[in-house]
Amino acid sequence: MNNLLLFIFRYSAFLLFVLLEIVALILIVRYNEDQRAIFLNSSTVFTGKLYKMADKAYKYGHLQTTADSLASENAKLKAEVFNMERTFQHMSGKEKPLDSCILEPFKIISASIINNSINERNNHFTLDRGTNDGIRNGMGVISPHGIAGIVEESNGQYATAISVLHSAARISASIKRNNFFGSLVWKATNPEYMILEAIPRQADILIGDTIITSGYSFIYPRGIYIGTVHRFWTEGGSNYYTVEVKLQEDIARLDRVYVVVYNEANPMIQ
Amino acid sequence: MNRETIKHILRGIIFLIVQVLILKRISSGNHWIWHYSDIFIYPIIILLLPIRMTRHYVIMFGFVLGLAIDMFYDMAGVHAFALTAMAYARGIVLSYMEPRGGYQLTMSPTRHSMGINWLLVYTSVCLAVHLFLYFTAEIFTFVYIGKILLKTLLTFVFSMMAIMGYHLLFNPRK
Repeated sequence: MNNLLLFIFRYSAFLLFVLLEIVALILIVRYNEDQRAIFLNSSTVFTGKLYKMADKAYKYGHLQTTADSLASENAKLKAEVFNMERTFQHMSGKEKPLDSCILEPFKIISASIINNSINERNNHFTLDRGTNDGIRNGMGVISPHGIAGIVEESNGQYATAISVLHSAARISASIKRNNFFGSLVWKATNPEYMILEAIPRQADILIGDTIITSGYSFIYPRGIYIGTVHRFWTEGGSNYYTVEVKLQEDIARLDRVYVVVYNEANPMIQ
Repeated sequence: MNRETIKHILRGIIFLIVQVLILKRISSGNHWIWHYSDIFIYPIIILLLPIRMTRHYVIMFGFVLGLAIDMFYDMAGVHAFALTAMAYARGIVLSYMEPRGGYQLTMSPTRHSMGINWLLVYTSVCLAVHLFLYFTAEIFTFVYIGKILLKTLLTFVFSMMAIMGYHLLFNPRK
């Protein structure tokens, strides 16, 4: 007994070290299983506040570019609305849909990214909107030029989302020209490209084909422009093409984003 | 809480803020080099603790600081794992590098007190341990050993520049 106590006393620093390492390893493994321990992320109020303060300072320098890009997007949307109105205008009274018949399954919440990463194996970003603004887990996040991620964890004022550059992100995407669809994943270290998997071999793909969201999920609406085909090949013996997609959105410079609320995903919200 | 303690705490907080608000931003840029590297200055908080501080406290402090960094990096346990190991390794490195006659009460792990050669060896050994374990824990498999080593090497260069830069510019006494 005496020897045991002596042993523990003699090696107490080492034992403490081993104990803490085991705790850390458990955290890492748990994190790998269910993506993250609930309280250890940047959507907590303290880290969220700090990031928001710093972000205000950083964004001040980019006001001009941000305003320009928002204005051009606004112009595009305006044009779309006018075109739609004009289309309806030419319809006869019978064909013309009543206002109450226009479906409104989607609601858009604008948000700003206050913390972002692209160089880790699994990347996340933090939004300055939370459950108070109607954000719930599992909603899709889109950006002016493409898709950005999926909300994973939200509290009152902030939410964290997994980026599309995350090993768990699988986005249902299709080729616009011929509607073949597959799932979009991120594998490589390069944040400019993603891989579109499981496109059958009979599909005719051309370099430069447009890739859009397929709408086969409750996360993103159909037809969001993601990027273009950069190159494609078949893995030895496989019946499917592997397509490398060049993203249109530069994930590293995400700033303003929109969270898609899809009411039909949960009938209770309607 | 004497003045020295308060000074250490304040300096630690400043390093933490520099790490998560400035260096993290720089190293999440889109240049290809940042796909393979990072800049870490926060190990210096552990490295600058007084030489005669009890090893248990250093190890526990390393663990807590690691968890704090993890929160900012949206991870769980990866920094804590590496930093606890570094805090333990610091004790071993210090005992190997003990000058003849032992450490004096007035000595602290800085250039001013121990000289640049001692400091270089001390910092680089501890940092190498930290970075290797960090990237091992992040990638979590030895299949990508090449990638782990490449990331360790590049990050080592940048982090060494940051840490030695601090020592050379400010030349802290304690």
